[in-house]
Amino acid sequence: MPSYRKEDAPYADIRAVGLPRALMYHRFAPAWTAFFEALGRRVVTSPHSNRALLERGEARSVDECCLASKLFMGHVESLIGACDAIFVPSLVDLGRLQGFCTKYQALPDLVRNTFAEERPRIVSCLVETASSKKGPENAFIGLALDFGATKSEAKHAVKEARKALEQAEHDAAERLESQLRRVEQRRKAGDGQALAILVLAHPYVAADPLIGASVVESLETLGATALLASDFDRKRALKKSEGFSSTMPWLINRELIGAALCLHDRIDGIVLVSAFPCGPDSMTNDMAARHISGKPLLSLTVDAQSGTAGLETRVESFVDILRYRKKGGYLR
Amino acid sequence: MKRTDDTARADRASEPLAMRAANFLGEAIDAVDTLTRRYDDGPRASCAAGDGTRAPSRLVEKRAAKKRERHAKTKVAFLRYGYYDIGFEFFVKHVLDAEFVDLGESTKRTLELGAAASNDFVCAPFKHILGDYIEALEAGADVLVQFTGPCRLGYYGELQESILRDMGYEFEMLNFAEVAGKPLKDYIAVCKKKINPDLSVPQGVAGMLTAFKMIECLDAYNDRYLAVAGFDDEPGASREARERFFAAMRSCKTRRDVEDAFDRGVAELEAIARHKPADALRIGIVGEYFTAVDPRSNLDLERKLLSMGVELARMINVTNRNIHYNEPELRRSVSEYATYDMGPTSTLTIAAAKRYADEGFDGIVHVKSSGCTPEIDCMPVLQRISRDKHIPILFLSYDSQTSDTGLDTRIEAFYDMIAMRKASR
Repeated sequence: MPSYRKEDAPYADIRAVGLPRALMYHRFAPAWTAFFEALGRRVVTSPHSNRALLERGEARSVDECCLASKLFMGHVESLIGACDAIFVPSLVDLGRLQGFCTKYQALPDLVRNTFAEERPRIVSCLVETASSKKGPENAFIGLALDFGATKSEAKHAVKEARKALEQAEHDAAERLESQLRRVEQRRKAGDGQALAILVLAHPYVAADPLIGASVVESLETLGATALLASDFDRKRALKKSEGFSSTMPWLINRELIGAALCLHDRIDGIVLVSAFPCGPDSMTNDMAARHISGKPLLSLTVDAQSGTAGLETRVESFVDILRYRKKGGYLR
Repeated sequence: MKRTDDTARADRASEPLAMRAANFLGEAIDAVDTLTRRYDDGPRASCAAGDGTRAPSRLVEKRAAKKRERHAKTKVAFLRYGYYDIGFEFFVKHVLDAEFVDLGESTKRTLELGAAASNDFVCAPFKHILGDYIEALEAGADVLVQFTGPCRLGYYGELQESILRDMGYEFEMLNFAEVAGKPLKDYIAVCKKKINPDLSVPQGVAGMLTAFKMIECLDAYNDRYLAVAGFDDEPGASREARERFFAAMRSCKTRRDVEDAFDRGVAELEAIARHKPADALRIGIVGEYFTAVDPRSNLDLERKLLSMGVELARMINVTNRNIHYNEPELRRSVSEYATYDMGPTSTLTIAAAKRYADEGFDGIVHVKSSGCTPEIDCMPVLQRISRDKHIPILFLSYDSQTSDTGLDTRIEAFYDMIAMRKASR
């Protein structure tokens, strides 16, 4: 691990670090923000996704890329000039069978090559656990040293990051549990309209206003409770997924499927939302649809559509089916 | 205690081989990734409202082992992958000591079977391979073999097993994803369990080394073939020679046989009468592990290009990706384009493209299955190489099409463009 005199650290001069609000930001934001703040840096986050940002991102991407990655490029572009450097880590895996889509591995180089003319400054680190035998925190300690931190400052920053992430995960799991309890109380009270619907979507799909957020919104508008599988206790979900599949390589998909299995008896239906054309989802959606067969399931694929009417219609008819079913008048 | 020491020593002694074997077995067929293109305008949403209360279970149910017939050899089938079936056959016969199910040439039906049973979102190699498996099971295979890799390929085996079981087939799956990253003895244990409990380890190891040699020879021969076959005086002479070489390889039993067959094959190939113009066009093929290599997946792209009278080169093959892959070393040669390993075959794709550009090739063809994430991520890099080094690149993306008219138009236009470009210099 490199240890520098403070002034030789390659990133020592960076004051403001830019975080594109896309892809893994939606999972790791609390950790990344706390990390850079603990190092005394200012964090600049790109705005929430909007149509103009997507159009810029599409213009900078190969057209076969997935919607989420096109959006990411739009976010990166919006940060050029707004900060000293943009943080884009290369994420390979957090352990055996806890990998990320190869997109995350390639991301720093993809950004560099895509913006070869603007040459934005990129800050990066390599998170590779299975083959390096080093935990992800090691990568971040190295990164902190590159920013000119001392070893103890680096460890402190990593600890802050871990604390922030654990807190955020804990809060999310609590929120999910209380949402579920409320539905269960309503059910007990005989409220036929109460529906708990589990949304199985990558966090950057579920949270992004241009991809999955409209699905969550339409569910809520119809009076159903939308539970995000990505909020569920990640450790429990991962553990549960081990019994289901012995080779599924992707961490996030494992957590999603694990959450669905853990919550199976407490929910009324499942909605799968994928960004078109998501690699891992192309296989795991098939698997989920064929094996989680006790619950009604709606599978939605979202591309850069300009309207949400199509999505809303499908969600509405799905909710109708569930309600008819509950009344016993349909698909008995 | 003593025992543990001995075992540890034995493990150490076998390490280089273990690494080679694990590298080959665990990673062979690596780069096939991804997802995507719509093939029709069908609905992009689906809804299921089953009324059962079937509890979620394992993706692939555990089953009791089938009772073994003591005198029958297990019938083992691989997938189709270019000319490597010669190596697969050798592996089954001489390493596993089992019967090989020869699938023959693939047909339109193969892909139709595979595509019908797959999610339309999945990458094309998944569909080709699923079609192969269905045909293998129809031909009586007991065991299907699937490899693994650091992309969607790592999940192929389990999902395909699940699909085929749901279709009602009875078989065992030797899925190397189950043991990926584990020591060699786990590979041996799983081969013993699924295929041949009497597997001889020393014989298997010797066979394995011969299998590696065979693959190296097949690839080396093919490199030579691609360079010269476009200029035969009598069109097709090289291709016929290659068929004879393949037949000779198929009958090899020892490493010596393999080396002899290779020497004879190359000599015969070199002896064919040719007329190679001084200004012959040279095209480099780069791209994804399965589609760029497997002729039925890329609609026999190499044959089409050779028939136009060009010299071809293709660095992506099993030798360069699995047997001799030194990714960090290769990445150093392209450090201006890639800081990290960008995916299963990305470094090889980028390094090959750069080399072809530096060696003055007239064009590059990038071949991948539609939606292959790692290779899509290489495209901005290739576009940069194209700009920096002034070399035209044709990007081809394959899905489950069986008609090659569109492909012909594209490669003819590309050929005309690079030929005119060369003439004007």
